[in-house]
Amino acid sequence: MIKFLLMVNKQGQTRLSKYYEQVDLGKRAALEADMVRGCLARRKEECSFVEYKDYKLVYRQYAALFIVVGITENENELSIYELVHNFVEVLDKYFSRVIMFNLDKVHIILDEMIINGHIVETNKNRILAPLLALDKMAES
Amino acid sequence: MSDVVEKTLTALPGLFDSQTGAAKITNRLKQLIKSITELTSKHEEENLMKQELSAMKEQVSSPNTTMKQMREVMVRAMYCEMLGYDASFTYIHAIKLAQQGSVLEKRVGYLAVSLFLSEGHELLLLLVNTVLKDLQSTNLIEACMALTVVAQVFPKDMIPAVLPLVEDKLSHPKEIIRRKAVLALYKFYLIAPNQVQHIHAKFRKALCDKDPGVMTSSLHIYLQLIRESPDGYKDLTGSFVAILKQVVGGKLPMDFNYHNVPAPWLQIQLLRILSLLGREDQSTSELMYEVLDESLRRAEMNHNITYAILYECVKAVYTIHPKAELLEKAARCIGNFVLSPKINLKYLGLKALTYVVQHDAKLALQHQMTIIECLDHSDFTIKRETLELLFRITNAQNVTVIVEKMLDFLRGCNDEHTVIHLVGKVAELAEKYPFHSLTVTNVTRMR
Repeated sequence: MIKFLLMVNKQGQTRLSKYYEQVDLGKRAALEADMVRGCLARRKEECSFVEYKDYKLVYRQYAALFIVVGITENENELSIYELVHNFVEVLDKYFSRVIMFNLDKVHIILDEMIINGHIVETNKNRILAPLLALDKMAES
Repeated sequence: MSDVVEKTLTALPGLFDSQTGAAKITNRLKQLIKSITELTSKHEEENLMKQELSAMKEQVSSPNTTMKQMREVMVRAMYCEMLGYDASFTYIHAIKLAQQGSVLEKRVGYLAVSLFLSEGHELLLLLVNTVLKDLQSTNLIEACMALTVVAQVFPKDMIPAVLPLVEDKLSHPKEIIRRKAVLALYKFYLIAPNQVQHIHAKFRKALCDKDPGVMTSSLHIYLQLIRESPDGYKDLTGSFVAILKQVVGGKLPMDFNYHNVPAPWLQIQLLRILSLLGREDQSTSELMYEVLDESLRRAEMNHNITYAILYECVKAVYTIHPKAELLEKAARCIGNFVLSPKINLKYLGLKALTYVVQHDAKLALQHQMTIIECLDHSDFTIKRETLELLFRITNAQNVTVIVEKMLDFLRGCNDEHTVIHLVGKVAELAEKYPFHSLTVTNVTRMR
């Protein structure tokens, strides 16, 4: 299963975090900083997976942003690596019309894709349909 | 680089940092993020956050704050908590936002609740009435939201209150409602399995749903159930095989494709289920040989996601009752991974080898040279995985060399978890091959 998903910038500042398992609020910032340090230390030619504590991190860099996903041992690393890309493509599809700062909307999109740490939808149209409907209703 | 990716790369940082001519609603959050980004010390951050939180406290307590403004405050509260600062004074207002807000505000209220509150939080009880109301709403969007939040966080004791409504949604005309109802039931099964025992017939109906999305959501429940007791579901093997055949054969609508591969994550899910059903069961395994062969064949495009599917295929082939031709193809596949210059594939190949080596020790021998090279690889992750593999292929002849390599690795290792894990492994080997006393001394020293 997926334990968490983070979007962090190169300076180690968290831009979005979603936890699918209970983690103490007070512990999160330090944990995130530590994990990102580990990913930032990796070189380009190294693989995109890192062992961390008793689980694994799958990370993918997009310009100045890192997306880091924590997964359990039995999860398929490469499939999660591509799930991240699918997520980025969905964001691009939605935000390409109107690039605004929308922490809540990114969360809403993520909620359509992953629930309880499991992948529940990967069809881009279906992922965006509820949010587009919401937007339409909010406009009128 | 493709156009889409290029656009995405430039757009992504902009999601969080760019200047926009946006509505006032996003300005304050943008300002806050910008300010935090520019600070250089933790102390400064704490001060700024203190100010921000006290301003927010005033806003939420003021009777003049509109729902629109409340939504904005809630998003800032999410940001603050994300950075580790307590904003629990907003929790009750999140629930109010879900209760009283217009559609988008309601969604943000539910979102905030799902982020702020965890199982067992007393405030969750207040959510139940709102959820009940929205589940019965004629507005489908509201019903969707309610189902989404129920699937994320819901008080266990109140399940009986919503169960009939959620069950009812299983036969709703709209696929998105049926899909989300299944996921809500999956959540209920996870937190209170006794409550959903009686509705297995309804899960079966979801599995056979004409909509692929609804069928897919039922797989989460089935994977869980089959993991717990495969025997009860062997009769469904034919159905899972048929579904996988259809998916692999490209029978799903185009928008289920990801880079021209049909529903890859669904394929992976099905392969896992089939593995569990075919394990140690020859007759059940025989039902799936054809579709596994087909999957191995189809997944030959050069894309990460097809490699991911191949990996699951290979695991399945080695888990179920053996079939020579399939094993040959799977072994070839593993070989290609391990020898690949693509480092992610090499990693997957090593992982696959570790998994299959218990079934086929010869395979590891075949790739001995590559494995030894990987031991000295500069990539820590590759090295670690190789050690895992080596541990599995240790015998009386090679134990000394392998333990030496492990100790070497340990000397250069700083991560506490890894050290503990590997020391444990070395200790196991020392016990298994007791005449290598040097090893034991080394192990004791490391501890």
